Amino acid sequence: MASVSESDDLFDCILMADDRFHVEGYREGYEEGTREGLLEGRNHGMVHGARLSAELSFYHGFAVTWKYLLQTNVDAKSKKRLKAVESLIGLISKFPFEDSQYENLQEDTERVRAKFRQVCSLLNVTADFRDYVSGSATMSF
Amino acid sequence: MSWVRAVASSGEDVFDEDMDDIGLQNKEWKHNMEKRAKDGYRDGVDAGKEASLQIGFNMGYREGAVKMKSIGQLKGIVSALQCWYQSHDPGTPALSSIAELLRRVEEHEEAVIAAMRKAQERPPPSVTDVTETMEDLGMEQENECGKSGGRGRDGDGGGVCCGKNGDAGGGPTQRPSQNFNDLGESMGQLLRRCVEIVTQHGLPEELKRHLLELKAP
Repeated sequence: MASVSESDDLFDCILMADDRFHVEGYREGYEEGTREGLLEGRNHGMVHGARLSAELSFYHGFAVTWKYLLQTNVDAKSKKRLKAVESLIGLISKFPFEDSQYENLQEDTERVRAKFRQVCSLLNVTADFRDYVSGSATMSF
Repeated sequence: MSWVRAVASSGEDVFDEDMDDIGLQNKEWKHNMEKRAKDGYRDGVDAGKEASLQIGFNMGYREGAVKMKSIGQLKGIVSALQCWYQSHDPGTPALSSIAELLRRVEEHEEAVIAAMRKAQERPPPSVTDVTETMEDLGMEQENECGKSGGRGRDGDGGGVCCGKNGDAGGGPTQRPSQNFNDLGESMGQLLRRCVEIVTQHGLPEELKRHLLELKAP
């Protein structure tokens, strides 16, 4: 009887060792994987965040400048332009585009782009900013 | 699993075996335990990566977005000034200095993005050598049963270990070594140059104030 229980213990022991090595390996691996994942994710995210921010900030700087240039004029045309420019500034100011988790990121980006195109046409600006508008943005893996 | 049989039988009658056989069994045991740890390590890397990629992405996204705000705005401001002069005063000498500044701003923006791309394409630092890890785990057959005892069972609580390691996601210590310092300095120069142009050509005071509020990242 004693020898049977001893060999059972031994068997349990071996199975536990089997688990133990797997679990300890897993723990080490998890740490390394977390480190790698954060770094890799960060490097990818940075490029995406930079691209969209560069585009939207461009629109912002563009609109703000036109606002200051236009606001001294009182004619109807300037007023109409100013109104469109201010509406574009409003859209961008309210838009938390630095947050990749923001639920309306894509939607708001399209809205700002459409507004920008409208502003350009009102200002008779024919400059080609298509570089920006063609940029696609994926927010996850 | 042959190694289980090998060790189990060695417990029954160790002394009948040749030393060579025991040596072989030890080797086999060690080999199998190493394999278990390696498999665990690989599973752990996959799980850790999967759990942290999105967190890393979100952090990097914010960093990249914040970094480009000033540059993007400056480019928009200079572009707007160019458009304004082209339609209101096409003969002004201001246009050439504005075009020159716009070129420099675009170059700077491209350099910053290129530095980020480079970091993105660079493969992550090589995985710690698995054999090193094996040493840390203290692969020694004779200590195995005596020491491991309950620890094997504790280790089964995989959820606990995952949760603990998952916390590390909050604060990564690794930073890609990107050379943004010189780029930041050049951003300051570009902003100053733009303020000069605005002052020199009597452009709105509010625009100057807006420029002064933009900071080099």
